[in-house]
Amino acid sequence: MILAENVTKSYTNGKTITPVLKGVSLRIKKGELAVILGASGSGKSTLLSVLSGLERADGGNITVSGENLSAMNEKQLTDFRKRKVGFVFQQYFLLPHLSVEGNVKLGAFLADNREYPEIIEALGLGDKKHSRPAELSGGEQQRVSIARALAKKPEILFLDEPTGALDENTGRSVLDYIAKLQTELGFTAVMVTHNPFAADMADSVIKMNSGNIAETYCNEVRKSAFEIGW
Amino acid sequence: MTVSWKDGLKLVGISIICACAVFVCTFFMSYYLDALSVHGEVAENALKLYESQLLSAKLTCLISGLCLLLVSVVLLLFYVKLYLDGHAKQIGILKALGYGSGKIAVGFWVFGLSVFLGCVVGFGGGYALTPVIYEQMSGEGLPEVPITFHAELLICFVLVPTVLFAALAVLYALYKLRLPASELLRGKSELAKGKPRIPKKNRPFLREVFFETLRARKTLAFFVAFACFCFSAMLQMSVSMMDLASVTMGAIVLGIGIVLSVMCLLLAFTAISSSNRTAVSVMRANGYTLFQCGAAVLGSYSIPAVIGFGVGTVYQYGLLRLMTELVFRGVEEMKTYRFDVPVFFIVLAAFLVLFGVAVAVFTYRTGRTSIRKLMAE
Repeated sequence: MILAENVTKSYTNGKTITPVLKGVSLRIKKGELAVILGASGSGKSTLLSVLSGLERADGGNITVSGENLSAMNEKQLTDFRKRKVGFVFQQYFLLPHLSVEGNVKLGAFLADNREYPEIIEALGLGDKKHSRPAELSGGEQQRVSIARALAKKPEILFLDEPTGALDENTGRSVLDYIAKLQTELGFTAVMVTHNPFAADMADSVIKMNSGNIAETYCNEVRKSAFEIGW
Repeated sequence: MTVSWKDGLKLVGISIICACAVFVCTFFMSYYLDALSVHGEVAENALKLYESQLLSAKLTCLISGLCLLLVSVVLLLFYVKLYLDGHAKQIGILKALGYGSGKIAVGFWVFGLSVFLGCVVGFGGGYALTPVIYEQMSGEGLPEVPITFHAELLICFVLVPTVLFAALAVLYALYKLRLPASELLRGKSELAKGKPRIPKKNRPFLREVFFETLRARKTLAFFVAFACFCFSAMLQMSVSMMDLASVTMGAIVLGIGIVLSVMCLLLAFTAISSSNRTAVSVMRANGYTLFQCGAAVLGSYSIPAVIGFGVGTVYQYGLLRLMTELVFRGVEEMKTYRFDVPVFFIVLAAFLVLFGVAVAVFTYRTGRTSIRKLMAE
């Protein structure tokens, strides 16, 4: 479970201090697919960063799977990310000099996961495992990024605009694949997106506005990206 | 083309290298040319001393000045290349907006300006030091050597390098601009080319990253090797010059050798750090420790570094042996050059300490680049 209480975060640029999170509190249950929605600049990516231990919050408390992130030092946060968290970013952030297999191994190595070739196959990248990221399409690169995250066997998968750089059809396929894997493997997934249609795919929806949570609700039935029909 | 203050600082590094090289060349070449003009006035009993002083100036200028200048040329070429590779996206944006290749490329003349500044400072400093050097070189029976301003040195040491580097930067930019704007925007030039090697089954993953990092960035590996080559050759050669030339000249050359060798290493590490920022950030975000990132990514450059150091040692030994035994054969004042084992070990120890500290510092700095910062960029 992810529990955030009165979380604040601001960024300093010279003498200008910009508050990005203004006392955010939320609860995401174990095994849920939660979607964080909001316009650009609403603070959703910052919220994802502090929930995942990529950045420290300035104030408030964050507890993930019983571990208090607010009390952790840098070394403990690194260890936390290693054990618990997987990331999928909009820009993929694949290492250009490593092959598809090498990029997936980057995640697998941390979890001592020797079954990573199965993930590569499952994501339909078997025939591309020796290719470099530059030789892949955007959708394929994002699938490598997902494979890398899953190879870590994460308890929680954080996705920051995973379809932001993809066309509609590829984006739907990627979202459906993530939702399917999340149901099958039972990990918690927290996805940031500005696409309002993605809300119908989630168990719970958190809407953000200007650094605050504007609305939260749960869906009784999850829909697939293709059922939503955006 | 926007040059940030950070890029400006890097250009200061280039200016310092040029300043040091031109500084050495200016006062030694100046003395050599002026001393030649008083050949007829040298007393019979001071002829040997006179020849020895000429030899000393020529030797120092040839070995130090020209070598340092050559080193600066190569380092600058690499820096221009790295700078352009790192700004491929910005160039792509300008090109996409409709700027012509020539118009964008001409903006790169600014690299020549940094060379110009360095050369002017070096030339001015060298020229200002000539009275001191002339005083040091004087001796009983030697006529007073008049200080003359040599315009040809100004042209050779200031104008020629400036024009050369400005032209080189513009031409290189033109060459890079041959790529379509879309490819530049995607940063395709930065991506590793060629097929990755199929990983060895039993090789640990971090060792695989170590070798792949090195394999994918051959130019950078060469740059690191070259910087370490310079470090090794310059420092060992500078110390050896203290025995072969006069103490003052030896001290000057040693001081410059230290500045330049440290500058070379610094430039190399700045390039390593900026080229591997994404790799380290992604590894850090996934939970790799700073030590693992340092050892697997930045540590991989230890191989070209050690090779560069070794080649530098052999090079400086070979060059000094060549100069003392072939070029200056028969000159009585010329001491026999022997490989200085203690100096080798001292320089090696300094190199290992500096390299280790640099890997640690740059790993720490690179590791602090958050994924969010990369996303914002």
